[in-house]
Amino acid sequence: MKKLFTIFLFVLLLSMTMNAAANLEITFWTHEDPNRTEIEDRYIAEFEQANAGVTIKRVTSGSGQIQELILTAFAANQGPDIFNMSIEDEYAYIANERLAPIDFQAAGYPSLQAVYDAYIPGVLDPVTYKGQLYGLPLELTNWCIFINKKVFRDAGLDPEKDYPKTWEEMVEVSDKLCIREGEILNRRGFDFRYPYYLVAMVPMVEQLGGQLISDDGKTAIVNDQAWIKFLKFMQEWGPSGRNLGSPTYTNARKLFNMDNNDIGMCHTGLYQIGRINADNPAFYESKEWMVVPFPKFENAVKDVPAAYYGHYYMVNGQKPKENQQMAWKFIAYMLSHPEEYLTKVNIVQPTVELMGSETYKSMPYSDVFTNDMAKGHIVYYGENSAKIQSHIREAVESVMLAGVSPEDALKTLRRKVQEVLDEG
Amino acid sequence: MNKRIPNYSIERKKARWGWIFVAPTLIFFSLFSFYPIFNALYTSLFKKKLLSLKPPDFIGLDNYSYLLKSSDFWNSMRATVVFTLGTFVPLLIFSLIFAIFIMSRKRFQNFFQLAYYSPAVLSSVVAAVIWLLIFDPRGLGNQWLNSIMNTPGIDHKWLANSVMVQMSTMLVYFWKYVGYFTIIFIVGLASIPQSIYEAAKIDGANDWKNFWYITLPLLKPTTILVSIISMLQCLRTFSTQYLFTQGGAPLAPINVITLNIYHTAIRDHQIGRASAMSIILFVIMMLFTWVQFKSSRADEISY
Repeated sequence: MKKLFTIFLFVLLLSMTMNAAANLEITFWTHEDPNRTEIEDRYIAEFEQANAGVTIKRVTSGSGQIQELILTAFAANQGPDIFNMSIEDEYAYIANERLAPIDFQAAGYPSLQAVYDAYIPGVLDPVTYKGQLYGLPLELTNWCIFINKKVFRDAGLDPEKDYPKTWEEMVEVSDKLCIREGEILNRRGFDFRYPYYLVAMVPMVEQLGGQLISDDGKTAIVNDQAWIKFLKFMQEWGPSGRNLGSPTYTNARKLFNMDNNDIGMCHTGLYQIGRINADNPAFYESKEWMVVPFPKFENAVKDVPAAYYGHYYMVNGQKPKENQQMAWKFIAYMLSHPEEYLTKVNIVQPTVELMGSETYKSMPYSDVFTNDMAKGHIVYYGENSAKIQSHIREAVESVMLAGVSPEDALKTLRRKVQEVLDEG
Repeated sequence: MNKRIPNYSIERKKARWGWIFVAPTLIFFSLFSFYPIFNALYTSLFKKKLLSLKPPDFIGLDNYSYLLKSSDFWNSMRATVVFTLGTFVPLLIFSLIFAIFIMSRKRFQNFFQLAYYSPAVLSSVVAAVIWLLIFDPRGLGNQWLNSIMNTPGIDHKWLANSVMVQMSTMLVYFWKYVGYFTIIFIVGLASIPQSIYEAAKIDGANDWKNFWYITLPLLKPTTILVSIISMLQCLRTFSTQYLFTQGGAPLAPINVITLNIYHTAIRDHQIGRASAMSIILFVIMMLFTWVQFKSSRADEISY
């Protein structure tokens, strides 16, 4: 009887172990994007069918909340198997060695070099750390200017000829496009995307010859004159200057798709085209919108467009090896559909094959984005890039909204960013 | 030979049952309140990054000395003090006025209580989102104020101006919590015996004298309770300021301590420094709680 019980127990434990091995759950946290959800849900179903016993649990959160959720989960050692964020937020995970390097074999590549060869040069540099590769790009995005042609014509302008090529022209054109009720802007010509200072505003300083951090990475704020000119420009843009926009108005990019005669221009990525189509098909079909390059200052010393940023799929290094391999296999499966991501979601996976494909080249305005990207560089990323971005935000807000002089704002900005660099 | 007789008095039995009933709460509090407090105190002595797997460096009181020298921290103290004083004083005064107003009504008492209390039911996040829409430059805030003041086209910069954004956060908090404290005052007012007012009436006291010499002194324990609770609530304010800054409002004027703690921990990943800040806030709150205990003991009233 005792023997029988021992055998029964052994069989039970064995079956439980085998069952656990056969049922592998991969958690996948990502930001909300309805167009992506549609195709990725299908990839999950296909992958689960091809890999019996594997379950992919995809969880989405708003793009504003996902960073906090993943951070707190990792802090409690409960991070998901797969996640993605923008590189300036993701880099801290690499620097703190919380990730699993790519398993190129599981991802279907013959060698690590083959992974690098599949992507356009430099695009994997931000996720390469101590000789290991820690991410594969879901998308690489740069911003150009989206224009509502109807708004231009309504203000007596020809969008094809009168679109702003310089920031000085941007001020003048925006002023003409504005519809004001006293101090209140019922229609803005253009407005910035205020939370993203590293992507769009640091390049404006670079056009004037300034830098956020010196080349050796030790000194904050290079070329005071460039920074002061940029801060004066923002002061002039704000409510106490020519009153062309403010961080407290609704995000221009969100309003643009609705075509409600409340915004003339905004800056955003190629993905916006898919979102216009999803939000307002009539406006999309009307072709009453166009995309032009990121402007530069009249006396710019460098031709720098908006910085590009990447969202990289990454794998949690604290998960069992088996999960890591399956996670890389699944990521590679999703990323094996770059043309569908491009046509359905309008996001660009920077593979050599896609960037040279007819599908990409025939996308409306893809040439505008490609030309700008060729002149640009990746956004500043580091372990403390979010904190540095917040300090730039404070400087810009203080000149736009609080009446602080650009010189004083710069002094504070320098002190704070230097402190971040010194603390390491 | 002395034989020990066990004491099975009713009091002891009652006390044992008391401990049994209190035990779940004590366990709950120990787990979810005392442990985080002691953990924060311990963490505040280390240089610890949220994502780092390396053992944190013990730095003693360095996080505290850094904070005491940090202009950002003192700005947060200023923002917290301004918000607390600017909110709890009007809360105290108006909730008392509203309570007296409701108690003086012969009809619709329940309706008024419900109307004042209803915003307190909303979550702070929902309240802040509603007010974000109102404070949009093209929103109802400017429209209402401009129609009342006959100043068309003026942008009152509810969220953009440094002073106005502080006022706006106070206004949201006041709107949300005034009903809650009104209800507490109503309970306090109801507990004052009518016989005292009747005696005063016989002595020829008018309504003003009744309020000044009977209501207000006898409401002192309730007033102290409301002032301490509202002050503690104000010191812990977070979601309004957080959502307003997410909506584009400048950070510095409304960077209250809780928001600074959040940014230090979540944005900067410096959990040791954030813990030190939370301990400082805890000490401040303990100080007020101590004041509450002292005051309430000194003002015990029996009729």
